[in-house]
Amino acid sequence: MITSDVFWAYMKCPQDQGGQLHPAEPFLEKQEEQWELMTYVLCEVLGWGGVWVSEERRRIADVEIGLSAYLGLPYYFRWLWAATKTLVEKEYITWGELTDRLVEVQDRYADGLNGRVPNAQPKYEGDGSKVKRNNWVTDSLGKGDPTMYAGQANPAKFKVGDRVKVRDLPALLYTRTPEYVRGAEGMISHLSYESPAPEDEAWGREGDKPEWFYIVRFKQIDLWDTYHGPESDSLQTEIPERWLQAFV
Amino acid sequence: MSEHHHDHENTVKPMVEEITEFEVLEIAIRELCIEKGIFSAEQHRIYTEFAEHIGPTPGAKLVAKAWLDPEFKKLALTDPMKACLEVDVDWLNPTGSGTTSDFHALQILEDTPTVHHVIVCCLCSCYPRPLLGNSPEWYRSPNYRRRIVRWPRPVLAEFGLELPDNVEVRIEDSNQKHRFMVMPIRPEGTEGWSEDQLAEIVTRDCMIGVALPKPGVTTNVKTKTTPAVRPIGS
Repeated sequence: MITSDVFWAYMKCPQDQGGQLHPAEPFLEKQEEQWELMTYVLCEVLGWGGVWVSEERRRIADVEIGLSAYLGLPYYFRWLWAATKTLVEKEYITWGELTDRLVEVQDRYADGLNGRVPNAQPKYEGDGSKVKRNNWVTDSLGKGDPTMYAGQANPAKFKVGDRVKVRDLPALLYTRTPEYVRGAEGMISHLSYESPAPEDEAWGREGDKPEWFYIVRFKQIDLWDTYHGPESDSLQTEIPERWLQAFV
Repeated sequence: MSEHHHDHENTVKPMVEEITEFEVLEIAIRELCIEKGIFSAEQHRIYTEFAEHIGPTPGAKLVAKAWLDPEFKKLALTDPMKACLEVDVDWLNPTGSGTTSDFHALQILEDTPTVHHVIVCCLCSCYPRPLLGNSPEWYRSPNYRRRIVRWPRPVLAEFGLELPDNVEVRIEDSNQKHRFMVMPIRPEGTEGWSEDQLAEIVTRDCMIGVALPKPGVTTNVKTKTTPAVRPIGS
């Protein structure tokens, strides 16, 4: 029997880590690999080129990759996997082109690196004029995101100081509202900006109506059954309007 | 030669430095993208240069400036984007639209004698890169993200930061488009210091909120580093 609790435990986004049990481990710095920097650049330049917005990357890299790879593989590999998947899914490259190129690069270094530093060797530079690009590239120019959406939402439903309750929505596929605040009561502490909700942005949709976002303040003792710190300790997080309801 | 020694010699292969799956994939994708004109080699170069030069220095400078100049502090708290320009950070760089991951919405969280802020992203790694550079590894780890939202005081204590009960610990979980940075309180013992002197004690950890600035302390709390196989610029 799959109860409701069990069902939603299976459906929980792997990225939603806040509040899960974890032993106290040491905090470590890490020297970054060259491929990690190059992956960061790759993903950002794909955004600059209008292939995706960063919410699409987060959906693929942090949710669709699945929990075991999420926890087990390097942080930037998730970014790299997301870039690869999006390029194939959106038909920028075929599976065959990808695979042939992987074999080619492997062969290039088949005898070991022998002191060489691996690097890309594109055969030529393609003409980008016919490449499909999203509207974000031009709409955000000189403005930034979410500044580009200013003035497009309906009037804000809540104001600073209002008591609100976070709706406990049956959020399938993707969300950025952490489980630990769902159903919790808090107070609007800041009216943030207008933007489409991440749950829609994650699919690369365009033209969705922006809505207001709010920073909501919660008391820690209202979030966790076993909070042992002082009653005044608090937590704030940003939430789109669709997730909030008035609470008196 | 003993039997044992013999086996050993047969099974240990010579050390060959091999390319990793991660490197192969990144190179393959980058080559295909440039060949198809999805982005240009020039765009990739420009962004790489940007990424190699970001770090916590502008953030520290901003805090030091705010400590010295009440007008600038007011600007930093009310119009942080404009204040960032004064420490040479333009959030629209390097693309004219900003970075796709860091957005264009910043809040600087001012600590007071009764409120101490700490930033985290429990969903991934949201972090004010243009001001502070890339986040430390631990900031992205489940170890930090899982625990800091629920057990903030014990986690802060692991960083050596213990706050009295009359100071409210306020966790800022930056899970949407706003990016946050902590502006700590100027510590005692820094009277008469210059902006540069002050900036030196505003470490990255202070701007995350896991440490407080202290005269004489110019390094982050946890410095144990996992080495890379082929680090940046190798």
